[in-house]
Amino acid sequence: MSVVSEFFIMQIMLVMVMLGLNTYMGIHIIRRGIIFCDLVLNQLAAFGVIIGLGLGIRYGTPLSFAIPVAAVLAGCALLAVTRPKDKRVSAEAVIGILYGIALTASLLLADKLPGGGTYLGKTLTGSMLWVSWPLVLTTVVVYAALGFFHYIFRGRFLKLTENPGLLRHRGLWDFLFFATLGVITILIVPVAGVLLAYGFMMIPASIAVLFGRGWKAGLIFGWATGTIASLLGIFMSYRFDLPYGPTILLVMAAFFIGALVTKGIMTQLETMTKGRAS
Amino acid sequence: MNEALNLLAAPFAACLLMTLMLGYMGLHVLKRDVIFVDIALAQFAAVGAIAAHFMLGVHADSPAALALAWGATIIASAFYTLTRHFVPQIRLEAVIGISYAAAASAAMFLIAKGSSGHTHIQQMLAGNLLWVQWKDIALSSAVFALAGLIFWICRRPLHRISDNYETAARRGFDMMAWDFVFYALCGAVITVAVRMTGVLVVFCYLIIPATVSALFASAWFHRLLIVAATGAVASVAGLTFAYTLDFSAGGSVSLFLGLAVAGSALVAHARRRY
Repeated sequence: MSVVSEFFIMQIMLVMVMLGLNTYMGIHIIRRGIIFCDLVLNQLAAFGVIIGLGLGIRYGTPLSFAIPVAAVLAGCALLAVTRPKDKRVSAEAVIGILYGIALTASLLLADKLPGGGTYLGKTLTGSMLWVSWPLVLTTVVVYAALGFFHYIFRGRFLKLTENPGLLRHRGLWDFLFFATLGVITILIVPVAGVLLAYGFMMIPASIAVLFGRGWKAGLIFGWATGTIASLLGIFMSYRFDLPYGPTILLVMAAFFIGALVTKGIMTQLETMTKGRAS
Repeated sequence: MNEALNLLAAPFAACLLMTLMLGYMGLHVLKRDVIFVDIALAQFAAVGAIAAHFMLGVHADSPAALALAWGATIIASAFYTLTRHFVPQIRLEAVIGISYAAAASAAMFLIAKGSSGHTHIQQMLAGNLLWVQWKDIALSSAVFALAGLIFWICRRPLHRISDNYETAARRGFDMMAWDFVFYALCGAVITVAVRMTGVLVVFCYLIIPATVSALFASAWFHRLLIVAATGAVASVAGLTFAYTLDFSAGGSVSLFLGLAVAGSALVAHARRRY
């Protein structure tokens, strides 16, 4: 097998496996209206990666995942504890401030590390170009386990999003939901970077929410569109020698804008035909 | 001591200016609950400036770069206004979040294609607050004064819409037009502010003092006083910290704004309990 085809096979496997669960989790996130939680967790994971570098742990080694785990867990706890009781301060403001502080902390720390600026850039855009077989296999195994778990308890998780009042032990399921997000974050951010990881979570799911009527149809549609967009991005980046992570995200964003425009036109047409019919 | 005062006078003036203008806008932003619109607009302004630098070859401080940066925020404002109106099936926050990530990626894309990438990343996020020039401050004062004047003239409809969006819509305000005016004004202010201090610091000045004020007061005037005090104290502390320990000035000011909101939240919590 040539190096190029091996590279493409690894990338394609990684993207297809990742987008399956990400699209599903993303639809939950959008329906629950907690759009920016994932961005905060991603930035915290990146902060953890930079701390690790400061302590001299090499980027991408198993040990380098330990500190991001702690940072993301702390973030999950903070997101849960700082739910404001004061009506004048919205949950989104708290999430925004947490994101600002996580990014500030990453920036100040990178400021003091030799070569820190390069690493700050790396945590934003990722290093997906350097994916290896062990990493792909780890991702597949972890995602399969998470996917299996979510499939078995799908009833509970759907209720958590659609009708949380009726769910018993809501706190526990909420925790399991955020824990899943946390595991995905820790696995993906060091590879894809904060921005692309956020794009993988939100863009296919947003397209799914725009067009899919039910969970299943939306999931399949979002996953398929997301996969096509990412593969196109990977191919363009390779063919035209463009920066890897940003190119994939920009192609996905172009698909998203296309979906928005299509949906806007469809909605206008529907209203027009309805208006004529009545 | 004198040397420090000389060096920090201009950055401090810039911080005070931003405290007043961005802090006031932050009150609107918080009431409208469109927190992430700001960081997205700031990111679009940065993309405009970077694109001007790499594609037109002009300096990031030139009028052409400023025009392109402001143009990028206008396009984003129009995009949000239209999406909110024509595609109600999706939450606007999701569109804002994705556009923020896309704009940041576009910036990284341009930076990667240019040279000396990482310096630009840090500059995009935290700016060069320590080296801000008096002429930058003069330009920002002029833009802020103009924007402030328009805010003052249109204060009735703008305050009413920010205080209660739905009621204003029922009373027959042209929401699409007022939304656009609001975002375009924000875009203009954010464009010149981003040029001085970068995306992240602008975001912190916008939402943090306004959030602190929300914890302790509700009238617009009282909240403005708290905003001014919070911003001024955090700016002095941040600049001193950066100067003494040789940290990035923008990042340090953001850090102290963050500490200010954390401290205020604890005080407000204690006040409610005891």
